[in-house]
Amino acid sequence: MRCMHITSGLLSIVGAAFLFGTVHALLIEPINIAKVSTRTDGEVTGGQGRRGDPGSTDPLPDEPAETDAGEVEPAEETGSSQSPIDIDVPDEVLDAPVPEGTLTLRQSYELWEQGAYFIDARHEHEFEEGHIQYAAWLASSLFDTDSDRAFAIAQSMPPESTVVIYCVGGECDASHNTARRLEQIGFTDLRIMGVGYTDWVEAGFPTGEGSAP
Amino acid sequence: MSKHSNPQTGMLESILLQLPLRIFLGGVFVFAAYNKIPAIQSFAEAIKGFQLLDAETHPELIVVGAFVIPWFELLAGLMLIIGLRARSAAMGIGLLLALFIYALLHVIFTDVSADCSCFGDENFICGSTVGWCQVIRNIVFLIPAGYLMIRGPGRVSLDQALGRPEQITYNPQNASQSVDA
Repeated sequence: MRCMHITSGLLSIVGAAFLFGTVHALLIEPINIAKVSTRTDGEVTGGQGRRGDPGSTDPLPDEPAETDAGEVEPAEETGSSQSPIDIDVPDEVLDAPVPEGTLTLRQSYELWEQGAYFIDARHEHEFEEGHIQYAAWLASSLFDTDSDRAFAIAQSMPPESTVVIYCVGGECDASHNTARRLEQIGFTDLRIMGVGYTDWVEAGFPTGEGSAP
Repeated sequence: MSKHSNPQTGMLESILLQLPLRIFLGGVFVFAAYNKIPAIQSFAEAIKGFQLLDAETHPELIVVGAFVIPWFELLAGLMLIIGLRARSAAMGIGLLLALFIYALLHVIFTDVSADCSCFGDENFICGSTVGWCQVIRNIVFLIPAGYLMIRGPGRVSLDQALGRPEQITYNPQNASQSVDA
């Protein structure tokens, strides 16, 4: 008898949660967890790709690597561009296998050198402790918690520009989540780093520090 | 003789133990829901990140979970605080904690890098990245949930005021009699 009362009470809570959840789902825009369409070639598109972001706290270089899209030669295949990198990093690190549809460390660095936008999708405190130089912070959750700030960061980049997004590394989902948000608001050339920030640091590539905008 | 046959002892336990535990545990879950409900998209992404369900083949389950779990947390938390069907609420919270522990262990043992998102974008006791801290925290939360499920919400509760059978403290000798009454 007691068990029945407790179980019926529990089912009532579950039922009410389904009811509220259904009403909630009808009131807001549909949520989207579909796979994001990304590219992995080495071409920077969207007018003038450039390093950094207006929101980035890193100082811009004396001679920003502004590059017209037409001047950038696309990489031949994933991990096979083998262009010279001025930092001594073993090829097995630069071309280490990454999940399908994501960038190797070599491709990521080449895009960085060509002036693509870089977005850090990790937590804000992680960004403040260190990030890829000229990257801006834009975690997916910012679109929910402070949409004005999120859209200000997103709108500071031309929608057709090349945007490279990264997170911790491994099978982290944060970069995919931010890419999905950017895709929803019209960004067309999104790239995801298959390696993470730790791999970038271990390779000795440039990093920056400072608070997010 | 049961300790709760003494009304004064029962009231003391209710005020010193059951009520604070209800407010604490219920408050934790209301706080969790408060941070998740305005950010359902982020919570759905967090569920996907746990890789318990294949987002390619079962996206609808992730979406349903993202909408139902926060509302369940809110309702169960509020009901526990006010002491309405509190045993059911404690049982629901216990089951949810068990599910969370399973999901956390899945992430830890499959070496997936995932965010807990247990409290939305906020953290409570542990950091944001899934680790043993969250597992231990949830196991600790299971203790008051189990206690409240067994002992009931105490005398300072709506169940008591409404005379609900759930309120009656477990006592094998007089349980059936009290419930029937």
